Amino acid sequence: MTGRERVLQTIAGHRTDSLPWVPFTGVHAGKLLGYDAKKVSTDVDALVASALEVNRLYHPDGQPVMFDLQIEAEVLGCELVWSDDGPPSVKTHPLAETGDIPSRIPLPDEGRIAMHLEASRRLKKSIGASTALYGICCGPFTLASHLRGTEIFMDMMLEPAYVHELLSYTKEVAKAVSGYLIEAGIDIVAVVDPLISQISPSHFAQFMEKPFTELFEHIRALGATSSFFVCGNATMNIEPMCRTKCDSLSVDENVNLAFAKKITDTYGISIGGNIPLTSVMLFGNQQDNMKTVVDLIDSVPSGNLIISPGCDMPYDVPIENVIAVEHAVHETESARSMVRHYQKAELAFTGTLPEYDKLSKPLVEVFTLDSATCAACTYMWAAAQDAVAQLGRDIDLIEYKYTVPQNIARCREMGVKQLPSIYINGNLAFSSIIPSREELMRTIGEGSV
Amino acid sequence: MADMQALSEFLQRGKAKEVKELVQQAVSEGLSAEDILDQGLLVGMNKIGVKFKNNEVFVPEVLIAARAMNAGMEILKPLLAAANAQNRGTVVLGTVKGDLHDIGKNLVGMMLKGKGLTVIDLGTDVPPERFVEAAAKHSAQIIACSALLTTTMKEMEKVVKAVKSAGLDVKVMVGGAPVTEAFKTSIGADFYSPDAATASEIALQVCRNA
Repeated sequence: MTGRERVLQTIAGHRTDSLPWVPFTGVHAGKLLGYDAKKVSTDVDALVASALEVNRLYHPDGQPVMFDLQIEAEVLGCELVWSDDGPPSVKTHPLAETGDIPSRIPLPDEGRIAMHLEASRRLKKSIGASTALYGICCGPFTLASHLRGTEIFMDMMLEPAYVHELLSYTKEVAKAVSGYLIEAGIDIVAVVDPLISQISPSHFAQFMEKPFTELFEHIRALGATSSFFVCGNATMNIEPMCRTKCDSLSVDENVNLAFAKKITDTYGISIGGNIPLTSVMLFGNQQDNMKTVVDLIDSVPSGNLIISPGCDMPYDVPIENVIAVEHAVHETESARSMVRHYQKAELAFTGTLPEYDKLSKPLVEVFTLDSATCAACTYMWAAAQDAVAQLGRDIDLIEYKYTVPQNIARCREMGVKQLPSIYINGNLAFSSIIPSREELMRTIGEGSV
Repeated sequence: MADMQALSEFLQRGKAKEVKELVQQAVSEGLSAEDILDQGLLVGMNKIGVKFKNNEVFVPEVLIAARAMNAGMEILKPLLAAANAQNRGTVVLGTVKGDLHDIGKNLVGMMLKGKGLTVIDLGTDVPPERFVEAAAKHSAQIIACSALLTTTMKEMEKVVKAVKSAGLDVKVMVGGAPVTEAFKTSIGADFYSPDAATASEIALQVCRNA
């Protein structure tokens, strides 16, 4: 089963060989190749290269092309403020001082829509057969707030007719953008509308149900699958969101996944979520991430489930944390045993570390989660084997898999913080990012004894 | 006799016109501005805060209630000033540098005013030194910083450091979607608040103890 099949089958309500994993790598993708957020948000070559690296390193079943809710707003006249380590923010709201309703629908060759579509086409060609591609489309309510500003909340109370009209317009924008994305090869249109968490269920029924239902119908009619993404505490709106007949839903850590899944299961809708972005992915370690995923999986009945971060991943999420998450999703039982050992922090190291300063030949130690199952670990181990073979010298090469309790103790003894890592003669040489053969050969050569 | 419970109810339902009329009636009947504030407007705003915290009302309902509160305050403000009513405390509020999000910050501002506190709102994209300058200038008891982004929340630590290096006796409270209690502790801030209502309760407590 390919990752793409895994995602689409799950959303269609069928059983799969393993859980699908969809990392929401927006600007974080750039981190993998050393590009800043603005570069991957504006340069199609950098974006595509980064997305391919995400695909190689994180082994996703599905992945977004971009995760930027400001693309449509920018085309429609909002000024943006750019950041090196986050997506841009909307600075100005063209409808702030006017009650006019625009009519202009963005064209596929306008602004960064063109870049989004070009990247989608290229990725469809290179990884689209095996990976489900998510096309992010700014939700009608959030787009309306980009155009109008926060005054939109007051309008809901004082000028409901205006809000209906504005949402009817932004829904048309979302329908057009969805159509462009589907034409470019996107499998799943993710309508991302974080502001939904800020309104009541009755306001949802009054303002949102109709435009969102129409939008999801449109996506279905074009032969694609839809997902409704929300951020924040949208607990009260999970059921109203299900009524819009979206094919799947995605929530962040502010929503209890078990509570939400009870509701989505009754509607036959799959749900994605909801690894905490900050406390776990950004600031936690690999074990925290694996434990969170295992606990998340254990907290809900099986089926109709996609494991993903709560929302767009922060730029600086440590790469090894994402690698650990992937391992826990695809090799849950192996991860379960690893975190069980992790809990037993007192597990003592019974072996002896090599006397690194007295080595007679170079020693390359590769620490992995498990090179047989974790994609990044497979590459790291293969890179080491390849470099050692190429050097053609007498070099000791050994892999320590985290699946073995004594290796966990060895990692602690050595002070290994990230997996996979390569240590040369006892010193950390590479972690998380897989070196090229030349780089690795050079480093082994420099550290040789 | 103007009904203070009705005043609180009107405020919670965002009925600005009715709130204004009832406050005017109460003033005409000789009720003190401070009593109208404490027994009517602040009671209503407090209830909205609790409902917001409990997910019973959402952003539009809070904004419309705050608008009704402001309508009543227009009448009371000059009277409170003339009566030399005691300042209950001052809070310097803002979204940190690099962050333009203001919904959460504005909600906190409304809840703070709903506790009768004076709010110096510095807006969004506020550098650390501006927080410190404003706190010194207005003799504030607490600085409240908001951030929505994981990238900008790091700015909060700079605010804490700027307060320390200025030697100010002012507490720092942090909040916003990505912020947690553990993060607050790691940057050495004094308080973390998960929502606007709790933020106003913490601020009121700090001002009372100051």
